[in-house]
Amino acid sequence: MSIQLAKLSGGVISAEASLEAGSAGVLRVRFSGTADLEAKADLDVFVKGLHAEAVRLGATRVIVDFRELEFMNSSCFKIFVAWLAQVRDLDPTQQYRIHLLSNPNQLWQRRSLAALSCFAVDLVAIET
Amino acid sequence: MEQPFFHVSFRPNVKLVSTVRRFTAEFYERVLVDQEVSEKVALATHELLENAVAYALDGETGIRIEVVEDLLTIKTWNRTSPERAEAVKTAIEQMNQESDPDKYYQTMLEKTAYRTDGSGLGLARIRAEADMAVKCVIDSDKVCIEASTSLRRRK
Repeated sequence: MSIQLAKLSGGVISAEASLEAGSAGVLRVRFSGTADLEAKADLDVFVKGLHAEAVRLGATRVIVDFRELEFMNSSCFKIFVAWLAQVRDLDPTQQYRIHLLSNPNQLWQRRSLAALSCFAVDLVAIET
Repeated sequence: MEQPFFHVSFRPNVKLVSTVRRFTAEFYERVLVDQEVSEKVALATHELLENAVAYALDGETGIRIEVVEDLLTIKTWNRTSPERAEAVKTAIEQMNQESDPDKYYQTMLEKTAYRTDGSGLGLARIRAEADMAVKCVIDSDKVCIEASTSLRRRK
């Protein structure tokens, strides 16, 4: 089984998803660059595709690595909020957990990811 | 002591917002020697400028960041339609009626999760994540949004 999600690259933001080696049902996605208005449309498509793949593959966990992401604006933040709401709205048997890897040296990551965690407290874990 | 400030106006270009954010963050990190404050300034600058750029009628957006005594204030301004000015004013008034910024922010997250238009999160994010008070001043067709925070506790 392989992941069918095109890499996001060439603009101000890059993202790539893969299956976690040696961990069945775990997807890993790495973001880098800047998530601002220029990135919004591509990011929206990518995150929707990520969710579709996680459901298709029956994922139990998605690891989201934000450590190389310089900044995220509120429009892009909303994309992640909508994603969490979609996971929250799934049948419990289809839900997967989301594990956020953050850079504690960046204020926006400390604050924004904590807000995401409060939004979906049973689904989200943060690791610094 | 001299009061540091930064002031620029430019034609709206979404690409310039990130450039200004990076510059202001570095400027205030050097001036205030406080990484946390400079990151708050960066976050609020970005959110305010993107709003201003999106709704500027004549293509010009301005920003001034100043420190007066212990108060750091970011001001952004642009010319906009009366409808937009009223919408911004109402949104800020509604936000400020809730005394707990985090509670209001979470309420907005619930609302925005199912919205198909804009996020509507920018001002609530500035208030909750950057710990800044937000207000709006309207003068004819010019809208100025101010975000401010006290530096006193850092001394």
